[in-house]
Amino acid sequence: MTTKTAFSYSHTIGFLSNRYKGFQNPVDVAMDSQGLLYVINRVGPELTVRIPYKRITICTVDEEYLGEISTGGMNDGQMWWPSALAFDSDDKLYVADEALNRISIFTKDGEFLSQWGTPGSGPGQLDRPSGIAFDSSDNLLVTDSLNHRVQKFNRNGSFIGAWGEMGDGPGQFNMPWGITIDKSGDVYVADWRNDRIQKLDSNGKFIAQWGSSGEGEGQFNRPAAVAVDDYGNMYVADWGNERVQILDRQGQVLDILRGDSVDSTWADDYFQANPNEGAARLAADLEPVIDVPQELLRETSANVEKLFWGPTAVKLDDQGRVYIVDSCRHRLQIYRKS
Amino acid sequence: MTQDTALMAHLLRRAGFGATKDELEQYVAKGYEATVEELIHPELAPQLDEDVIRRYHVDQNSLMLIESCQAYWMYRMINTKRPLEEKVALFWHGLFATAYGKLNHAKAVVNQTNTFRRQGLGSFANLLRELSRDPAMIFWLDNKDNHKDAPNENFGRELLELFSMGIGTYTEEDVKSCAKAFTGWTIQNADYMSIRASRDSIWPSGRIDWQFVYLPEDHDDSEKQFLGHTGRFNGDDIIDIITQHPASSWFIAGQLYKFFVSDNPNEAATQFLAEEYRKSKGDIRSVMRSLFLSDFFRSEEARFARVKSPAELVAGTARLAGGRQFPEWSIVMLSNDANFMGQEILNPPTVEGWHTGQEWVDTGTLVERVNSATLEIGDITKPGVQAIIANIRDKGPIVSPKTLVEACLEELGCLSVSEGTFNSLESHAKTEGDLEFHDLACAEGRIVEMLQLILSTREYQMA
Repeated sequence: MTTKTAFSYSHTIGFLSNRYKGFQNPVDVAMDSQGLLYVINRVGPELTVRIPYKRITICTVDEEYLGEISTGGMNDGQMWWPSALAFDSDDKLYVADEALNRISIFTKDGEFLSQWGTPGSGPGQLDRPSGIAFDSSDNLLVTDSLNHRVQKFNRNGSFIGAWGEMGDGPGQFNMPWGITIDKSGDVYVADWRNDRIQKLDSNGKFIAQWGSSGEGEGQFNRPAAVAVDDYGNMYVADWGNERVQILDRQGQVLDILRGDSVDSTWADDYFQANPNEGAARLAADLEPVIDVPQELLRETSANVEKLFWGPTAVKLDDQGRVYIVDSCRHRLQIYRKS
Repeated sequence: MTQDTALMAHLLRRAGFGATKDELEQYVAKGYEATVEELIHPELAPQLDEDVIRRYHVDQNSLMLIESCQAYWMYRMINTKRPLEEKVALFWHGLFATAYGKLNHAKAVVNQTNTFRRQGLGSFANLLRELSRDPAMIFWLDNKDNHKDAPNENFGRELLELFSMGIGTYTEEDVKSCAKAFTGWTIQNADYMSIRASRDSIWPSGRIDWQFVYLPEDHDDSEKQFLGHTGRFNGDDIIDIITQHPASSWFIAGQLYKFFVSDNPNEAATQFLAEEYRKSKGDIRSVMRSLFLSDFFRSEEARFARVKSPAELVAGTARLAGGRQFPEWSIVMLSNDANFMGQEILNPPTVEGWHTGQEWVDTGTLVERVNSATLEIGDITKPGVQAIIANIRDKGPIVSPKTLVEACLEELGCLSVSEGTFNSLESHAKTEGDLEFHDLACAEGRIVEMLQLILSTREYQMA
């Protein structure tokens, strides 16, 4: 690794909440043209009492809660297993749903506009769409995870093309998850069960791949997401290794983030209202030495609260911030380039 | 149905959650003894693909909610390639009954069941050693409040009474010594974690796993009298004495017999298992091997001599119906069904666990049992149901009512029914005459209806 201090922890947004100011099992975040954050709360299991808690929370990077849109359900404008979201150039919000196999479209204020998508394995059909990203022509690329391919649609859902099939060769996929597009239009896919990141051109032609199975530097264990900055650096949510790896365009590791969370202002508000619990928390050792098998990194994350636990998405803004969705800890951890 | 197949079906109902006809044929080809050996060595079979569970069920990755944890275990019971590993975990969970209701920490109970998976077929002494360090158990039986200057006897008492020896085999003085030996065995950050548990606090970022910690300054290192032994015993010493005591062998033998063999006690069989326990120095795998190979286990009297627990019933039916091999949101409906039948896995009603046998069934739970099973098998799109239909279709274009009943019983894991039940099923089948496949939809409907009728019988409620 060339430098260990390329990125520094900034702050945390989040607080476990069924409604309003907070998140529950967030899995993706997107930014509109004003920089407002839209966070999917996947929530589960799908029992009557919990379904209404599925929602998209809107807030700022400075932890100002602005509202929430949509809710759980199978009707138009509702979500069952929301997995990913993205804005088009008109600031319309597109939400993928892995259970309903459809893409729902909302205004940025939450008004439901339309939806498209049918289940199946034929051209244009979907089987658990997991990741979405818009290209510069406002076409939507979708990782169609159980069909092991990437599909391209226009904004109305008209099928344009599909790349890949099940396999571990160049341009093949095994349950792909996150997807992103760089400023040149090249596409990066978190090829989840192949433990690699693949880079393809805008027509789906294979360009390069990085990673292999493992816990070492530059290795991955089920990568969930990838983001790319203007320099071609890749930010990979190394989900199974409970970390984020940052690689340069050649694949050299620049930094590895394991999680550094401290309480958000929303959490501070809670402890001010519950001082006894807050005092006990201050007196506790929240970074104990853990005796768990090394391969069970997730168990370490379950024990040490500040660490990532199930990082499912990474996004970047134009201020040099890195947003990491910490799904089992119900928060976003924000880092900055040092 | 051959005798070999019927015996194998019996074995798989007890050592697992039942088996389809195709699975039984594969086991029969291996042979009974070889199958027993395979079952008692689950570590040789592949593990479940946990990554897909945690990817699609993010709530089963964090395991914060009890319903998520129950769904997670139900999925495991249905899909495991290591059936005895899950069955043994269910056995120990019922014996060392630790409930979410007091802990407000579902993952802590899941972690305990992982200990049962890892250690449940090993040395009983090692299992007790891990259990006495298990944070969920420490919290459940108040050992975090068991101090050198103020002993709390809850864990010490239940260790002797409910977990290892049984009432009447020890004195009150033994209980006091036992409790003293475990002073200082507690959890990290006990004060903060107690406040969180008492408030059911999940804030700010979900549950934090508990960790065992030993505080030597809070341990009573004085000399103790325990079961006729004298020494400055700590918890591990106590467990060594317990597990070498004859009462322990009888206790475990009786519990294993009741769970794996029959709801009706059998002193001779228990004596045999207790002897196997002593000969193997408390090695549970050895005892299980002896149990499954014994004449009393293989006997006709042992077959269908236990009422299926709700978890067994739901998981077994789902295995027959098929279609649950990949994470789907609806898995929670199955674990919920078991809850409605009176078995909230990971949340037993008391430290005594569930009242089993015929107490599983009352007028309310029987309706739940029948509704759940018939709904699952009634989905004609499920691959297991489709396979059953295809197998019956292979019998020819026309199937007599009697053959239809026999074939359905065989497909449902070689189920044996009484003559009266068989006659009732056949009478119903005769009302519509021979099954003819030229009208496929009609034939499929009749087969599914017969499957549902069989799943509604008394016999299907038994294991």
